[in-house]
Amino acid sequence: LKAVALGDSAITIVLGTERTADLLNRAHVTAAALIAERLVGVQDIVPAYLGVSVFYDALHTPYGEMAAKLLAVCERATTSPPVPENAREHEIRVIYDGADLAQVAESCGLSPEEVVARHSARRYSVDLLGFVPGWAYLSELDASLQLPRRSQPRPRVPAGSVAIAGAQTGVYPLDTPGGWHIIGHTEKVMFDASHDPPALLRAGDFVRFVHVP
Amino acid sequence: MIAITLAPPYLTVQDTGRPHSRSSGVPRGGAMDAFALQALNAIIGNPLDSAGLEWALGGGGVRFQRDCFFAIGGARARATLAGRTIASFRTTRARAGDELTVEHITSGRFLYIALSGGIDVPQLLGSRSTYLPGHFGGFNGRLVARNDSLPLGTYPDSPPPEGFACSPELLPRYESAAVRITRGPHADLFSEQAWHTLTETEFSVSTASDRTGYKLKGEAVSGAAGTLPSDASCQGAIQIPGDGTPIVLMADAPTVGGYPKIAVVAEADLPILAQRSPGEPLRFQLVTIEQSQRALKRRASDLYTIGATGAASA
Repeated sequence: LKAVALGDSAITIVLGTERTADLLNRAHVTAAALIAERLVGVQDIVPAYLGVSVFYDALHTPYGEMAAKLLAVCERATTSPPVPENAREHEIRVIYDGADLAQVAESCGLSPEEVVARHSARRYSVDLLGFVPGWAYLSELDASLQLPRRSQPRPRVPAGSVAIAGAQTGVYPLDTPGGWHIIGHTEKVMFDASHDPPALLRAGDFVRFVHVP
Repeated sequence: MIAITLAPPYLTVQDTGRPHSRSSGVPRGGAMDAFALQALNAIIGNPLDSAGLEWALGGGGVRFQRDCFFAIGGARARATLAGRTIASFRTTRARAGDELTVEHITSGRFLYIALSGGIDVPQLLGSRSTYLPGHFGGFNGRLVARNDSLPLGTYPDSPPPEGFACSPELLPRYESAAVRITRGPHADLFSEQAWHTLTETEFSVSTASDRTGYKLKGEAVSGAAGTLPSDASCQGAIQIPGDGTPIVLMADAPTVGGYPKIAVVAEADLPILAQRSPGEPLRFQLVTIEQSQRALKRRASDLYTIGATGAASA
């Protein structure tokens, strides 16, 4: 466990060096512990694969003091239960009509129905948010569905598109360019800037995709 | 209200950004030169985080539909109000019907216009900033265009007098090539040679630069580690992709990324970097986090001094 500065107003607590599901889970648990602690001056908490970054008001709390406080909370969190206390499970209803579904099925040597069945059979964990507002990287996709990204990214993927790439799946929260394989769509609003928090999902949550025939 | 009579190619509403929504993947955003915008707000007696106009890439015009105090600054520009030349970082009084004309920007990139009461567009996630890639915030999530009318907030009780100017020593040294940096989270992954390149050679901002990031031109920073598992990034982070070309993340940069971050630009010096035009020299100077935070505090106290001096002269 160590603290490194990320500029004047953020500190990254490094929890390990190897990207594993266990370490990511520890990052989520640690982030939940930091949120629950409500430290004065903390503005934002961003868990990621190897640690948690905390943004703070450096005008009132200098680096050394904030790093010491964060490390103390994170040390205690190492003995927390392995699932973040604030984790939620979301059901996202999906119409599997994506433009790439047939191609994905063919590349995987499966029927489109099997792709749908395997995609909707699992519970995914929300690894982290980023890339664009509200985008959540979800793991882990069935091994038989894992494909590299499309060689030609699309200039515009509509919001609500459900897509896969590599070992992950996700839902496009906004109309953005994108290179993942689109296998379906959902009506669920993944991001709404007029709500706070604006993203439906939070790192550490769980997601089930429900097949809507 | 103010009405845009002629829009430059880039014009948005910005304030100091969204400090609480990174965990939802929302970048901090806000003014590229947040110091300039805050200093202008301080000069005209606004709260520091009032929204103003961020203006770039050309000239244009704004018509005032009510009496109003305003101030311009950040990039240098040739500007007139009702035909009379106006100075930077100085309160100017506009009468209803007057037109502010920005002829062109003479140096720097982002010109700010702060107006008494601030631009009163709805707050989203604690900010009135425009986030163009997400089509939200600011004025309907988009660039401000010709014929748009923008509402202004409540006039401050005691605006500083016309002609109040902030003393130049309270402003960033925009003409300086030196930009302070602190060691980034992946500083140790880079060799002495890479650090030598970063801190002892000269860079410039390339034309491939926007609100998301500034790509730099100069010697390649060697020995980059390829990509790492994504982690949080911040404004000012200097990331080194595989080809060794440093990219400094700016206001609208994504909240997470996988390129190693060798260093981070001191917040106090981000305005200097933000206002660098392509080709102008840039030198990075390594300081400790304590020094960098002291510089940031100094900027905050300078903003306070500007506001307090203005209020005292009102």
